[in-house]
Amino acid sequence: MRYVKISKENTYKFLEHLKATGALYAPQKISDRFYDFCAISDVHDVEFEYDRTIRPPRRFFHLPDEKMFNFDMTRHELTPVKTQAEHIILFGVHSCDIVGLRIMDAEFLDEQKDSYYETRRKKGIIIGLSCLPDEYCFCNVRRIEFVDAGFDLFFHELPDGFLVRVGTVTGHKLVDPHPELFEEVSADDTKNMELFEEKRSSMFSIYGNWDNLRYFLELRMDHPMYDRESEICLGCGNCTLTCPTCRCYDVKDLPAINQVNGERVRFWDSCQFRSHGLVAGDHNFRATKKDRFFNRYHCKNAYCPETTTSYCVGCGRCTYFCPAEINFKRNLMEIAGYRGAV
Amino acid sequence: MMTIIEECTGDCRPRVGVYALTSCYGCQLKLATVQKIIDISNMVSFESFYMLSSASKMAADVDVAFVEGSVSTERDLEELMEIRKHSRILVALGACSVNGGVQSWAEGEMDHDALHKCVYGDSKLTMQGLQATPISKHVDVDYYLPGCPPEEDEIMYFISAFLIGTFPEPKDYPVCAECRLAGNPCILIERGEPCLGPVIVAGCKARCIGFDVPCVGCRGPVPHETAWFDSLAQTFLRKGMTEKQIRQRMKIFGSHDPNIERMLHSILGGETE
Repeated sequence: MRYVKISKENTYKFLEHLKATGALYAPQKISDRFYDFCAISDVHDVEFEYDRTIRPPRRFFHLPDEKMFNFDMTRHELTPVKTQAEHIILFGVHSCDIVGLRIMDAEFLDEQKDSYYETRRKKGIIIGLSCLPDEYCFCNVRRIEFVDAGFDLFFHELPDGFLVRVGTVTGHKLVDPHPELFEEVSADDTKNMELFEEKRSSMFSIYGNWDNLRYFLELRMDHPMYDRESEICLGCGNCTLTCPTCRCYDVKDLPAINQVNGERVRFWDSCQFRSHGLVAGDHNFRATKKDRFFNRYHCKNAYCPETTTSYCVGCGRCTYFCPAEINFKRNLMEIAGYRGAV
Repeated sequence: MMTIIEECTGDCRPRVGVYALTSCYGCQLKLATVQKIIDISNMVSFESFYMLSSASKMAADVDVAFVEGSVSTERDLEELMEIRKHSRILVALGACSVNGGVQSWAEGEMDHDALHKCVYGDSKLTMQGLQATPISKHVDVDYYLPGCPPEEDEIMYFISAFLIGTFPEPKDYPVCAECRLAGNPCILIERGEPCLGPVIVAGCKARCIGFDVPCVGCRGPVPHETAWFDSLAQTFLRKGMTEKQIRQRMKIFGSHDPNIERMLHSILGGETE
């Protein structure tokens, strides 16, 4: 792997170059407490020290609302919608979200190729950014606080700039044309990266490895936590819609007024909604709020073979963005008997 | 329940009626001013639609009737009965028709005579007033198209669905979902605003929250008893709202929902007034 260094000042220049390469999105502050990946017009608006975005990066590749094709009911014809082919550059993606995107890839590229997703993902450029955890983070016990794949470039914070890991050929092609912006990594830079890694490791509120969590969840399916917490749950879907790895969607046909044409659309669904488990004959295999609440705990803690991680990446969004303040991490610790600060 | 228009050949444009009970007429104004109103009037025959034609008549024989407004007078009730008799499909159009609207806010707190006196004093009305109620209290309603006023895309979806011979599928998820996808910050989490987004049915694309205004609930509760007023009341209490504020907020547009008082009772206890 190639390593280079860039100063903070040159980083802004580099961001200008990225803007010329495609549509650049990076974290921005959108309110007192929240951030989002926003289209960048002024590179100085990029927020390098953000906690988590309210919308997950998967939305750039698996659109929240997407027209799939137009249809003609008299001629029995479909006209596929051509997916746009502009480069999408995501700058400032934390390691949890990079693994989140790899989990999306597992579903939409490896398991069942989805042309809509694939076209966009191929045009995607992912630039990672190191971060320090807050009390909501638990990526460390998910074994993904340091990623070794899934990014084109990864920026590690240094006192005077960034140490950049170049992860792919695309990453090389971004760095190579601008030798004036980058310099060689010195021994001091490496030492500073080591210190940053140490600092990050020391800041987590819990330690250990949660690989055995899914077994405890299966062994304690009747745990009283589910009753207690699902009572508080609003069933609003915030936890799943902000999640970087939720992949459920629904499909709907929208007829046009002329009785001839129409379009098929798909949009993000949530297992927290009643109709998610609704099937023919008005049967519902997740009929109660508790059933739906329970489902998310088990789905998120199942094992993704492609990434060899759990589907939950420990980003903390489902807790941070829960209006009812339900604490996912604490509830999981309660079931598995893990110790540590909540 | 699933009434649809059967396939037909030749000149058989579906007959449509648009009626108003006690309301602001905003819903039929919305329907009359959708971008594709000309396309709609080519595809259907408006037998009655006062906002479009004074040649309209009350309770024409129609395939689909859209009824806005709440039943707030004896005359409303009589007209609604006639409309139902003359319509194959009845759609409740807008907040007043679907849930009673703001005019039924005081439901349960004052009887109608006291309410009338409070507003009009001793003056006489030419009709007998009633406690404002949603139309489903009096007749069978086939479909509900909520909103204050309803959204253009949903109006188009309903009419298009009827035209191709299927039925419109109602949304059963809350405003929160559309709000997150719209990229708004959550003002309930961040500032403790009394936002009803978690219990109100989606469709508005979280318009008010997009303007930094908390959801007041005009579209009514999420259907199928999945509006969790009890959980939201707990959240509101934690954010510092009083019991009275919570109760009043939820009842502005939802006073006829039997679940509100039942669920609030489990969290707040009985009504104090």
